[in-house]
Amino acid sequence: MRPHFSDAIIKWSLAAFLIIVFAFLYMPIVHILFASLSSRPNFPYPPEFNISSYIRLSTNTVYQSAFANSLILAACTSVLSTVLGFLATVGVLRFGGKRALFYAIFFAAPLFVSEILLGISSMALYYLLFELQGNMLTAIIANTVHCFSFSFLIMTAMLYKYDWRMNEAAVVCGASPLRSFIEVMLPITWPGMMGSLITAFVLSLNGLDVSFYLLGATPTMPAVAWGALRYGVKPELYALSTLINLVVFLLVIALLISVGLKGKAGRG
Amino acid sequence: MQNDNLQRRLLLDIPSGFLLLFFVLPLIALVVLSFWQTENYKIVREWTLLNYGTLATESAYITFFLRSLAMAVGVGVALVAISWPIAYYIVRYGGRYRTIFSLLLVIPFLSGEVLRLIALQGMLGPAGLVNGALIRMGAAPLRMIMYSNAASFIAFIYLYLPLVITTIYLSLINFDFRLAHAASACGANRFRVFTEVVWPLNLSGTVVGFMLAFIPTLSASLVPRFLGGPNGTLYGMSMAQQFGESGTWALGAAMGVVLFLFSAIALAILSFGVDLRRTGFTGLGRQ
Repeated sequence: MRPHFSDAIIKWSLAAFLIIVFAFLYMPIVHILFASLSSRPNFPYPPEFNISSYIRLSTNTVYQSAFANSLILAACTSVLSTVLGFLATVGVLRFGGKRALFYAIFFAAPLFVSEILLGISSMALYYLLFELQGNMLTAIIANTVHCFSFSFLIMTAMLYKYDWRMNEAAVVCGASPLRSFIEVMLPITWPGMMGSLITAFVLSLNGLDVSFYLLGATPTMPAVAWGALRYGVKPELYALSTLINLVVFLLVIALLISVGLKGKAGRG
Repeated sequence: MQNDNLQRRLLLDIPSGFLLLFFVLPLIALVVLSFWQTENYKIVREWTLLNYGTLATESAYITFFLRSLAMAVGVGVALVAISWPIAYYIVRYGGRYRTIFSLLLVIPFLSGEVLRLIALQGMLGPAGLVNGALIRMGAAPLRMIMYSNAASFIAFIYLYLPLVITTIYLSLINFDFRLAHAASACGANRFRVFTEVVWPLNLSGTVVGFMLAFIPTLSASLVPRFLGGPNGTLYGMSMAQQFGESGTWALGAAMGVVLFLFSAIALAILSFGVDLRRTGFTGLGRQ
């Protein structure tokens, strides 16, 4: 009897700890959700439902142009890093051979260099070589370096168990490499690609450190938020933050549902 | 064979070339810049060790660095200690809710450093939730969590917790728990099963998790600037100021090189202690 009893104690104390930690992670998010909907943002309890801060956010042109810039940046970065990450994943898993580990470490290396160093060093390079102040292109490239590693790791995790003989089988049956990619590989691996696209998109949408040093005068959303933060937090920022959280939440739910459906379809 | 070689070259060399051009080359530029000088916002291209001399002798920079190092080690250790039970619970008892638990970790991680700091400020600030509740209950506000190193510490934990839990979770989910059962069947008690089987076999994942929190904390600039208060200046924040307000790029570049070297040294020390084969790493190549 005794071992069962202490097993249960361990299990329930771990569960309690898990709940505390998740509460710690989500309490600020929920708090600013209430704060954004309240006329008293400092202590919004009991909760209200007041969308005036959202209206002020939507009519603020500074946020609008910054948001448009961020969208362009994030869209280009996510596509570029997913394409590069996919090439790297297939390269390492299929053609890596003896040097697979070496390439894998090299491709994951940007994770181990902090974003601010990435931003500063890229800025130093462009300035020293081209006397360039930084523009959208350099910001996209530097963000891609950072997101590339995430894309690579996500897709490697998803493709690790992929059976490459399926591609060969398709080619043997007469499919062109492109067709074998579209009809065999893509349907099986797209959750990994979606995961990589979403992660890279959201990371570069919200990242400040890399873009800050490479964009010059072009404002992005986190830069505007950061600027506003230095003059005191305003309810508009809470509204903006809540909206971004909501979008991330919906994207993750969509990914979860699509993976779940695919898993069910695949298994039975 | 020819075709295979071409494919291989395309698949491995395009990403490698990209990283060489836009990741390795900038770091080299940073090293070069750190050996030059800045005078009146202009870069003077003469080789000198002056920047490193300044960093090694001026007490302010030494204080910033030691504070950053202590903060990064503290944050890393605390995060590993918090993340292990969480990841362990999700893997052992999560059952079919595993995916949901792990995705719940992704959502706070993806909402971005600035926005998460805004949220945290709503909790910890002078008029935030914690102090607001304390004042309402008639207690004195906690000074400790406003604009102090303690506030920075909480912020770092909050920022990097999802990343560290996910790393350890990924390590544990690939761990074969039959090994732990075998040890326990052979008579090992719970403590020995953990210290001699579960922990060493997941050490490489733990080290990666530690580094993923250690490195950004070591060079953090936003958190101390926003939450650190008067005595909370960290090395990365000082470095950002060299590139911003003070315009002393060369000195900032030298600080960047110091940060990079220390991250690399920490990574080397930790991975030296980890024998990949002993930690259950089976390699990537599956020919």
